Amino acid sequence: MADDQELRKLLLRTAARDEGSAEAFERLYKLCAPMLLGVAQRIVRRRELAEEVLHDGFSAIWRTAGTFSPFVAQPMAWMATIVRNRAIDVRASHDVSRVDSYHDTLDEDPDGALDRLFDWGPSADDNEDKRRAAQWVRDCLAELKGAERQALVLAYEHGLSHGDLAQHLRKPLGTVKSWVRRGLENLRTCVETCMGAAP
Amino acid sequence: MNMDLPGRLDALCGEYMLGTLRGAARKRFERALREEPRVALQLGHWQSLFVPRYSPMIAIEPSPKVWKRLDHEIGLATWRTPWYRRAGFWRGWSAAVTIALVLAIGVQTFKPAPQAPAMVAIAEMVGKPDGSHVAAHLSPDGRTIELHASRPVLAGPAQSYELWLIPAEGGAAISVAVLGSLDARFDVPAAQVGRFSKGAKLAVTVEPAGGSPHGVATGPVIMIGEINV
Repeated sequence: MADDQELRKLLLRTAARDEGSAEAFERLYKLCAPMLLGVAQRIVRRRELAEEVLHDGFSAIWRTAGTFSPFVAQPMAWMATIVRNRAIDVRASHDVSRVDSYHDTLDEDPDGALDRLFDWGPSADDNEDKRRAAQWVRDCLAELKGAERQALVLAYEHGLSHGDLAQHLRKPLGTVKSWVRRGLENLRTCVETCMGAAP
Repeated sequence: MNMDLPGRLDALCGEYMLGTLRGAARKRFERALREEPRVALQLGHWQSLFVPRYSPMIAIEPSPKVWKRLDHEIGLATWRTPWYRRAGFWRGWSAAVTIALVLAIGVQTFKPAPQAPAMVAIAEMVGKPDGSHVAAHLSPDGRTIELHASRPVLAGPAQSYELWLIPAEGGAAISVAVLGSLDARFDVPAAQVGRFSKGAKLAVTVEPAGGSPHGVATGPVIMIGEINV
């Protein structure tokens, strides 16, 4: 996978709208489209819809590359947010949750899902800080209560809304909302504490 | 949207990142994101806390028509460097000419004696659950792979192992072989010859017997290692 620095440069070049913007955007697509299609597929669950999402997502990336701030946002996180939001909208409008296989295919094993979705191991181009930060997130997720972790992982991986979560987990909406809220709060506090406590 | 209540902005950033902020609430948040720098900064903080990389195993190669449609709809041709102004064109030209000359001379000059090709160790895959090792060797012509496991690893009756190549430049994992044992020798598929280069990774997943039905890994990764040659 390309490193953040290369993706940042490609996004800035795309936003510049000069000669070479098309090549930068094409390279960005080549590097990131397969991963982002995988992200979309997990939410919309149908290949043709996922490709539609990928198309719309990259259209939006092209249009809004000028709003990408290299000092504030991580390039992959920024693009993934665009694609995930589009996938979530498509999922809602196509009522993907009523696809027959929905309950059979949704993951009931949040820890397994985490390890399939993310690569937690060190990568050659990671620096020490990134390596540690990824490990903290993994450890902090493991420390959450089971229900909170499951709600966060299902929402993130499959783009489930509070309502979908309540239906899937067969719990009242209020309970699920508070799992999500507390889970996010606990996760953030835990990661921040690790960062603060680290030498 | 009142973001001044204690903890409110953080809650919104978290739910936006997670994807549970929906409809009008998400639109309001996105407007604030564009208009209020503190919102963008706080979301940036959230995104910097959570930096895991997506696993290359989730990647799926999109069909070429997605890019074709994008290229056409955006009108990318307007923003493309003309071919004669691309530095790469001239570099490519001279490199190609040089290689052609070297090959032509080489073929004329040398007639190497036939010899049994020695396999070259290219990667050491390490097992995720138990730390077992599988060494991967590639023939000099790049057409044959041998795997040697540190201890016998055999697939169960209803499963197969599948070896994947994860290209160094990113992109979807490519299926290389479906195996019953991790001690094996097999031919590299023609399309993959020459792609086992430094920085790419080899990974083994457990799949249904006969391999993944869709060409995309479905089972857990049990071994992974980087190509270092």
